[in-house]
Amino acid sequence: MAGAEGHVEADNAEAIITRIEHKTRKIESLLKQYKPVEALKTALEGSPPMTRDERCKSANWIVVHRAIMAIKDVDGMLSSLDPEYYDILMKYLYRGLSTGDRPTCDQCLRIHEKLTVRAGLGCILRCLADTVNTERSTGSCAKKVGSF
Amino acid sequence: MAAIAAHKFAQCITCHAWSPDHSMVAFCPNNNEVHIYWLVQEKWEKMHVLQKHDQIVSGIDWSARSNRIVTASHDRNSYVWNLEGSEWVPTLVILRLNRAALCVQWSPKENKFAVGSGAKTVCICYYEQENNWWVSKLIRKRHDSSVTSVAWHPNNILLATTSTDGKCRVFSTFIKGVDAKDSTKGKSADLKFGELVVQLDLSLSWAFGVKWSLSGNTLAYVGHNSMIHFADDIGPSPLAQNVTFRDLPLRDVLFISERMVVGVGFDCIPMVFAADRRGIWSFVRFLGEKKTASSGSSYGSQFSEAFGKLYGQSKHGVNNDARGNIHDNCITCIVPLKENGTWTRRFSTSGLDGKIITWDLENQQDLSEYL
Repeated sequence: MAGAEGHVEADNAEAIITRIEHKTRKIESLLKQYKPVEALKTALEGSPPMTRDERCKSANWIVVHRAIMAIKDVDGMLSSLDPEYYDILMKYLYRGLSTGDRPTCDQCLRIHEKLTVRAGLGCILRCLADTVNTERSTGSCAKKVGSF
Repeated sequence: MAAIAAHKFAQCITCHAWSPDHSMVAFCPNNNEVHIYWLVQEKWEKMHVLQKHDQIVSGIDWSARSNRIVTASHDRNSYVWNLEGSEWVPTLVILRLNRAALCVQWSPKENKFAVGSGAKTVCICYYEQENNWWVSKLIRKRHDSSVTSVAWHPNNILLATTSTDGKCRVFSTFIKGVDAKDSTKGKSADLKFGELVVQLDLSLSWAFGVKWSLSGNTLAYVGHNSMIHFADDIGPSPLAQNVTFRDLPLRDVLFISERMVVGVGFDCIPMVFAADRRGIWSFVRFLGEKKTASSGSSYGSQFSEAFGKLYGQSKHGVNNDARGNIHDNCITCIVPLKENGTWTRRFSTSGLDGKIITWDLENQQDLSEYL
């Protein structure tokens, strides 16, 4: 039973990885055309990948990270980004902050400040409270997710 | 103003309940006692102190028709208090818990009450005439964590619970000999005691404060992730809606009408949610002015205020009074003010600031379309 489940998960992971690779190519071309906001939207689409697979999560994070770092005009980006993406973006900002990498943290904090003004404290709370799609709690939550 | 009366009764209030005619209010001032105050010539005076619990009283409910008070406490016990002459006489209810009792609620017919607990269980208590004794029957399974709130369906059978495992569940509490078969209408008639009707899995974090609408068609509860959840058609295939909002999480909710809900919580000010003609729920507005807490200076003042509270500085007390009819701290409890057993547009809130505030939505023009 558990083995079959694991197999399905692995198949699913392959599909997700393929999708992320496709996304990466699209984002690279958007960045070449100086459309960083479009790139970020593309990166956030289909996120979180809804999987426990760490490989998928990391792959998706690399794509989103690439798009986040290309953002120069934060206000412009946020006003053209659909509010439904705010929660997802916030989650990735915290992931960025957790890397401890100086340029990444600088960029994430810059966006975090502006995003909080727009999306409110509720957005931060939803990010902190989400124990399924954030990195921190994978260990304790693996069991819980299994029953979904 | 939507707030029509406010009074600071204590440093902190864990829960409160009104007497059937609203002339008296019972609350727990964050200790093992329940204080009953009544309004004499525009002034609140202490009338009774109910002392029997050993630890903090976490839940109080005052039954409208039988005029009985039920209390639940962290000491793992409940008491049912009957007014005999001028004295409140307690009857111990042994809940058979090994953790704190967290919330309590009389059923609509007042022949049962439900207690949620930290022991991952719900106790359904009913009176046994032959033994002169309140019996506690436990729903043991299903909950993976503490039960934070309980709410009775108007049919006196279904009970909704929220838990810190993030789920909201609906159980049947049919008890032979207490609930007559013919009184249970429709689907809920065939359900056995403790049977799970539905489990709602909408929240990713702790769930608090569940309530039914007046008709029992809609259920609302809140999560600790700044979301409020609504569910219609409770049964095998419920229709669920999640509403996210931009402010701090809620702790408790209350239906004002079928299409309007008031939520209270960490933002210290009640929020109104309403359903439009299509039944889509959304945030409408706050009841009253929201404190401005975005600028740097006010963060500073919040800090000094917190320190002031810590060291009991009196000048901050004066400050608070100037703010008038609003809460200064997290609101943990919202109670409807019923008249002759029917619901009204009035309700009261209490919280960690020790105030009880009464609200009236009658003269709120923009909200009248949802009433």
